[in-house]
Amino acid sequence: MQVRLREAPEWVSLSFSDRPKIGWFCGYTPLEVLLAAGFVPVRVSGHTGSVSKADSCLHANMCHYVRSALDAALNGAYDELKGAVFVNSCDAMRRLYDVWRKHVNMDFTFLLDLPRGQSEEDVAYYQNEIQKLRNAISAHFSVDITDKQIKAAAHIYSEGRDQYKALNDLRRETPPRISGYDIANMAALFSSTSPEKWGAYALTLTTEKSEQSAPAVKRLRMILDGSPVHNPEVISFIEDCGFDVVAENFCSGSRHFDLNTGKPNTGDILHDLSAAYLARPPCARMMRFEERAARLIDIVKTFGAHGVIHISLKFCDTYLYDVPRLRKKLAAEGIRSLFLETDGTIGSIGQLKTRIEAFAEMIGGDAL
Amino acid sequence: MTTMIEAYFSQLETALARKLEQKATARRRFIYEIARIGNRMFSPDWKSAWTTVFVPFEILDAMGVAGNFIEFVGAMLSGTGTAKQYLEKAESTGLSTDGCSYHRTIIGAAMDGLLPEPDLLIGSSFPCDGGLKALCHVGEIYNKDVFIINTPFDSSPEAIKYLAGQYRDMITFITNQTGRTLDYDRLRKCIRNNNIAHGYFAEMMELCKKVPSPATSDDLKNFIIYVLLGGSDSVVEVGRAFRDEFRYKADNNIAGLPGEKFRLLWIQNRIQFPNNLIKLLEERFKANVVIDELNHLYWNPLDEDEDPLIALARRQVTHPLVGPAERRLEVLVELARDYRVDGAINPAHWGCRQSSGIRHLFNDTLQNIDVPVLHLDVDCVDERNFSEGQIITRLEAFMEML
Repeated sequence: MQVRLREAPEWVSLSFSDRPKIGWFCGYTPLEVLLAAGFVPVRVSGHTGSVSKADSCLHANMCHYVRSALDAALNGAYDELKGAVFVNSCDAMRRLYDVWRKHVNMDFTFLLDLPRGQSEEDVAYYQNEIQKLRNAISAHFSVDITDKQIKAAAHIYSEGRDQYKALNDLRRETPPRISGYDIANMAALFSSTSPEKWGAYALTLTTEKSEQSAPAVKRLRMILDGSPVHNPEVISFIEDCGFDVVAENFCSGSRHFDLNTGKPNTGDILHDLSAAYLARPPCARMMRFEERAARLIDIVKTFGAHGVIHISLKFCDTYLYDVPRLRKKLAAEGIRSLFLETDGTIGSIGQLKTRIEAFAEMIGGDAL
Repeated sequence: MTTMIEAYFSQLETALARKLEQKATARRRFIYEIARIGNRMFSPDWKSAWTTVFVPFEILDAMGVAGNFIEFVGAMLSGTGTAKQYLEKAESTGLSTDGCSYHRTIIGAAMDGLLPEPDLLIGSSFPCDGGLKALCHVGEIYNKDVFIINTPFDSSPEAIKYLAGQYRDMITFITNQTGRTLDYDRLRKCIRNNNIAHGYFAEMMELCKKVPSPATSDDLKNFIIYVLLGGSDSVVEVGRAFRDEFRYKADNNIAGLPGEKFRLLWIQNRIQFPNNLIKLLEERFKANVVIDELNHLYWNPLDEDEDPLIALARRQVTHPLVGPAERRLEVLVELARDYRVDGAINPAHWGCRQSSGIRHLFNDTLQNIDVPVLHLDVDCVDERNFSEGQIITRLEAFMEML
């Protein structure tokens, strides 16, 4: 199945990076520390093609995200990164950290351990992990990272997240004033560029989109949920099957912006960062299934969605184990859902076209 | 109502007691003690807990809680050839077949009512994501909360303190759920027992380094399950039994595998369902699995004078599977050298991300010290796709190469 690619908006090619770059993987990475250290934090998102070189270093039963991330690195896609910051997010990410250090020519790597709870002990533990990251970057790159710089970075990111939310609010309307594809591109851009410049651009885009006349055609409103989906073309493809994607409950989508690090509470910025990150809406790795399911149901209601498409990456244990439970939860709420398992390549999404279109037909135009 | 699993443990204990009277081998003693400990789950004197593999069983013991880890039951069901029906049951709910079959089996077994309803569910984030997720499925079936222990990634003092603090929270959780409190004297005795057992374990493992080894490939198969005995008098009995048996054999030049020609290191888990691989290795090639990676005695005797929760936390974070791969790889090199192995076998259990993710590093590391590695693409619990002929062909080629 050939996936038809939408013509990318001109701003997709923008590069707002005026500083050295450092890579990160997981949504629990404290980007504020990386920015304060003088880097542009760039998400290592891998690719959606076939994996070539990485298969000689990583078993094929690892998810496509970690395999393609390594593959892209081995093919030189991340040569300009000065380092990479990992999080103990899952078994696969931990193993990627091991293999990356052996096979990727990169001077600086660091792994943050991440608790699952939100108690004071958990916050203190993660705070110590963030401090260790700060020390490691300071020592390796010979830079001072002051509290003041971290607070300033927190403020910048907080503003950026607010701007994303303003842009994202345009999707509350029916039909939405901005497509899921456009929003996904902005989310991807946020994760790879200077946040100050991104914020300025987001503001312009929000104004532009607000002033444009609303689209005339109503389509089924859909929430996406599940494993990380980094490629906006996946969103585009689903929209082309007859939906308006109005929220992506991914760590690479809307959920990434549900975090507020800009309002200090204790005066200790690392403590506040730790508390804010651990308090953010959890992903499947953090367990807390009931909380996650309730939040997803709330998103469906808030955005007036007609259903949920859940996308699990093949071999992504953290999400795949939850599929039967989540399916039951959504059904109990009368929410229509489609559960897809893909190998993460754009081609595999194409192969699911019939199922996605059948799902649209099942909900039916009467729902509009 | 007596569940099938209760009947299994009961019959196992009775049968082994009889066999022990006929001939007392260390292996029989070991399985007998496991069955006896397993049976406590069904006793009115004990509260019961389903857990993942690395939780502090000593604390449970000292609170009158009989713990049993779900992977053990998954392996047991596979060993008795009954896992298939439970795998199918779990998969009928939409559970992916790419996950770990130890865990899928147990989810199916819980759905089917095979597992007795526990009083408690306690899981650790170490060694894998799947165990915690499976335990949460079981918790949903029994409408019970799961207590989650976040095992830290490193072994720093802060990490040990953080883990010990979680053990304290776990004790509170157990008390709240069951009314049982921690008997610190009993916990100290558990630690004392562990240390005595440690001495026996160290001796028995040292004896296995002899060429030929006094042990057969299966004498210490799945010995990792001794964690279930943690702190009880049984762990001392089992340690002494193996030490005595291996010492006797070593002193009298009795080889575990007569004519031992090749010595092998087994990485990660054994294949749990009945198969002929070990038999083939021993009989045709005179190849003896002299050390299983998971049997490595990684911990030092615990400090009996310090806070027992700190001592247990320290032991936990020093496990080679915690932390970066280097720790595990160093242990593999140490084992390969100490036990003078000719090769290593790694059945890369299909659903195990934490282990198969670094299987290429196993290769690179062991080949650096001239120890070839054979990776078998198998599922250690789910025999539905097991193609013994193909595996044997690969095994034969490997042994011929050695």
